[in-house]
Amino acid sequence: MRKGLIASALAVLAAAVVVSAAVANTSSTAAPAQLATCTNVSLGFLGPLTGPAGFLGQEQLSWLQFGVQKYNKANGTKFAVVQGDTQLKAPVALTVARRLAANKKIMAVIGGSESQAVRVSGKLFARNSLASISGSATAIDLTKNRPFKTFFRVVPNDGIQGPTIVKFVSQNLKAKNVVVIDSQDDYSLPLAQAITRGLRARDITVSRESVSADDTDFSSIVANVGANVNVVVFATQVATAANTLSNQLREQGKKAIVFGTDGAYSPSQFKPRSGYVSVFAPDIQFDRKARSLVNEYKKWSKNKAFGAFGPATYLAGLVAMTAIKNACADGRATRAEVVRQVQRTNIPSIFGGTVRFSRIGDPLPTKFIIYKITTGKYSPLG
Amino acid sequence: MDWEKLVQLTVNGLTLGGVYALVALGFSMVYGILKLLNLAHGDVMMVGAFIGWGVLGWLGGVQDPRVAVWLLIVFMILVAMVGCGFLGVAVERFAYRPLRRAPRIAPLISALGVSFFIQNSVLLLWGANFRSYESFDLVDVEVGIHWGPLNVWILRVVVICSALAMMAGLWILVTRTKLGKAMRATAFDREAAAMMGIDVDRVIVKTFFIGSALAGAAGVLAGLVFGSINHFMGFGYGLKGFTAAVVGGIGSIPGAMFGGLFIGLAEAFSVGYIEDVTGWVSNRTGGVFPRLGSQFSDLVVFAILIAFMLLRPQGIFGKPEVKKV
Repeated sequence: MRKGLIASALAVLAAAVVVSAAVANTSSTAAPAQLATCTNVSLGFLGPLTGPAGFLGQEQLSWLQFGVQKYNKANGTKFAVVQGDTQLKAPVALTVARRLAANKKIMAVIGGSESQAVRVSGKLFARNSLASISGSATAIDLTKNRPFKTFFRVVPNDGIQGPTIVKFVSQNLKAKNVVVIDSQDDYSLPLAQAITRGLRARDITVSRESVSADDTDFSSIVANVGANVNVVVFATQVATAANTLSNQLREQGKKAIVFGTDGAYSPSQFKPRSGYVSVFAPDIQFDRKARSLVNEYKKWSKNKAFGAFGPATYLAGLVAMTAIKNACADGRATRAEVVRQVQRTNIPSIFGGTVRFSRIGDPLPTKFIIYKITTGKYSPLG
Repeated sequence: MDWEKLVQLTVNGLTLGGVYALVALGFSMVYGILKLLNLAHGDVMMVGAFIGWGVLGWLGGVQDPRVAVWLLIVFMILVAMVGCGFLGVAVERFAYRPLRRAPRIAPLISALGVSFFIQNSVLLLWGANFRSYESFDLVDVEVGIHWGPLNVWILRVVVICSALAMMAGLWILVTRTKLGKAMRATAFDREAAAMMGIDVDRVIVKTFFIGSALAGAAGVLAGLVFGSINHFMGFGYGLKGFTAAVVGGIGSIPGAMFGGLFIGLAEAFSVGYIEDVTGWVSNRTGGVFPRLGSQFSDLVVFAILIAFMLLRPQGIFGKPEVKKV
């Protein structure tokens, strides 16, 4: 009887997983490109509002909502935001994307925040002529050979991040022995592989480790880090994980420092005694020119902490709203017109310079920024 | 042999195992008395972690604690234990008691529902962000035992000792007190216990309170030693705790303790050595057997579960069920 009960428990668990996967894959009809009256227009948001990267999506949504109310006030528009939570799961992202595409009020989507969300939604949005503009999806394949005709991003891709980290670790940190850790997801695996290849090409000894995206204990991984390892590169989307890793390295008396990729960027959560982090956009909290925007956001959000994810999504929102406003010059617009207007974007960037897109939807020109962290304090390099 | 690595992995395994054991105890106690798999137990542990985090903030947080650090930790654990104890009682009262005479699958489904309910309630109350105990700032990671190959942070020692102390306390409660005797009698034969004058409902409530309180303590200890908590952490810990309870012998208290430590050590050693071992096997088999990385450590843990289910379904300390026909 006991065996039977345990078997039933396992069967129920398995059934729950299967049912949720099936629900996530349920198809829905796609809406054709249509004319909108421009008086009641929404922006969709496609990002992880819950799950291991919930902090990232929440920050992005908050900045997007801030940007929308600010834009509405300045331009007399009535944009609204429709939220879509991907939970950092590709099947869920597809379901949410279908819902956004079917909503006739939505003229552009901000996101997907994570690369896997773009992979599953890109073709759907293209079929619906719906522009999607991401403030954080950095995988190379999202724009290489333009697989998703209506996808744009305001941040540079991992084709820049990987080599930037490789160059810094080899030339500036002069590391000879490196451990590269991925977190078994679509974001970190290709990035970790690219970094590993790059470092090995420079004759640096690289060991590979892998953790799960929701792991909170890395002490046994740290036990595998040899005394001669100089740097541990951690490709993760969870800043607290990078923080725990760096502290557990210290706990076990390891000299290696942690180099976090852009997913780990969070001055409030990743605070090693000594470390580095790369990020796709400058943190505007360090930029004097952006001080008034930062203060305005802090007042509006009642002092919510933020890093680099929110402002980049704010910028993506500005791009979308400007494009829709231009497409609506005659009072009516189609989603296809909005896509064309996004492609022609040429507006001032909050990071300095202007926002423009290449033929394949990547921003022009861009670079990854590296921050040095000393006793939890961030300072930009170069 | 890399002794430093071996010693370090043993310490890591004992820490993790201590947390698993506390979770496994709750599974085992409830199963022993009600023959119910309380699948929401991991989520009760998660609530404990959040209560501890709330108490930490309420008492000034890491930067400016209003009381001594040791007192703060004791207070966090106690409040979480009491909070989770009452949560466990509420779950029993509203989700399980009405189904006590229903077919066994009904409370199991109800437990699954309670699990999602608790998870989403925490999401609603505290949001989706990973919350940090910032315990690395509370007690510096370099404070602890540094002796030869041994590097143990003091909070790890606190976690291992607290877990062992709570297990010992529970053992004394079950074997030396009137309540323990009533619990054992109820577990042995509920109807006979009732006929002997034992208030079975009260015993069940107290069992839920104690099991959930231990889970609450496990939540705080996990938050302290691993630094971060989130609203879905209960699933992983619950699954491992359940595995520990099954391996030790579900329904057996020493079995849960042993099973927890065993699974913790198995997980730590598999992360540390899986690549070496599978690499060696891979070389011997000419690459037929694949070389596995540390991401496959759960494979080892759940392979142990399957092996026990097949070879010794009653677990290490469990007794085979004998049925008269």
